[in-house]
Amino acid sequence: MEERQYDLIFICRPDTPEADIDKVIATLEHTATEKGARIEKTDKWGRKRMAYRVNRLREGFYVYMDVRSANGEVVKELERRLKVADAVIKYMTIRVDEELKRQEKLKRHRERRAARRPRKTVPASAPAAPAPGSEQSAAAL
Amino acid sequence: MADEHAVQQHHAGPPSSSGHPAGPGGPGGPRPQGGPRPPGGPMKRGKRNFVRKKKVCRFCVDKVDYIDYKKADVLMSFIQERGKILPRRMTGTCARHQRWLGVAIKRAQNIALLPFAAEL
Repeated sequence: MEERQYDLIFICRPDTPEADIDKVIATLEHTATEKGARIEKTDKWGRKRMAYRVNRLREGFYVYMDVRSANGEVVKELERRLKVADAVIKYMTIRVDEELKRQEKLKRHRERRAARRPRKTVPASAPAAPAPGSEQSAAAL
Repeated sequence: MADEHAVQQHHAGPPSSSGHPAGPGGPGGPRPQGGPRPPGGPMKRGKRNFVRKKKVCRFCVDKVDYIDYKKADVLMSFIQERGKILPRRMTGTCARHQRWLGVAIKRAQNIALLPFAAEL
């Protein structure tokens, strides 16, 4: 079975202590492992100003998680936990594996097409130049 | 029958170019974005169609395959002050990237990285 990938972002109240945020993260990790998923990466973006007021707050503590799972049920459970947590004011889960797959496919197509055409001005860094360039731009955008 | 004094409408017949008997008298066919044309017919529009300089799609130039909704700074250049998404003809984005852009902007709005609507 293909492994699905989800982007899970949640926002905590800005005044929550770091320990509580870690507790939430730990709960989510625990839940994920229980359901057979794994958390590939956790990224704390820290306090950010939000574009609009949420629960009458202007700032929030953003946390990003990369969740990998074979099935989708784990997402429901994770979201349930987030809903229940008092510190969390907003959350969003997005399934991204299809998009990343398409991104990879496009990149491969482009590189193959570029390699087929004889590039006379580009030296041996030709395979290297498009790859980090497109990767960087793909990641940057 | 040399009846040429009155019966002129039968003569030439409606030319198939404009297709519409009351349409503009400019070059026939659909109205492409060509900028101000010497009006052969009545100028219907109130504002002028400025010639837009050829804009290329920023994403196509950078060969982007995925527009990340998390990059609010990039996305911000594609929304108006009020928070509305800018049309393609303003930004020069290609159709494919404009679709992806819309998706990314909506996602970012949902997660409060971009505003839905901002008062001027």
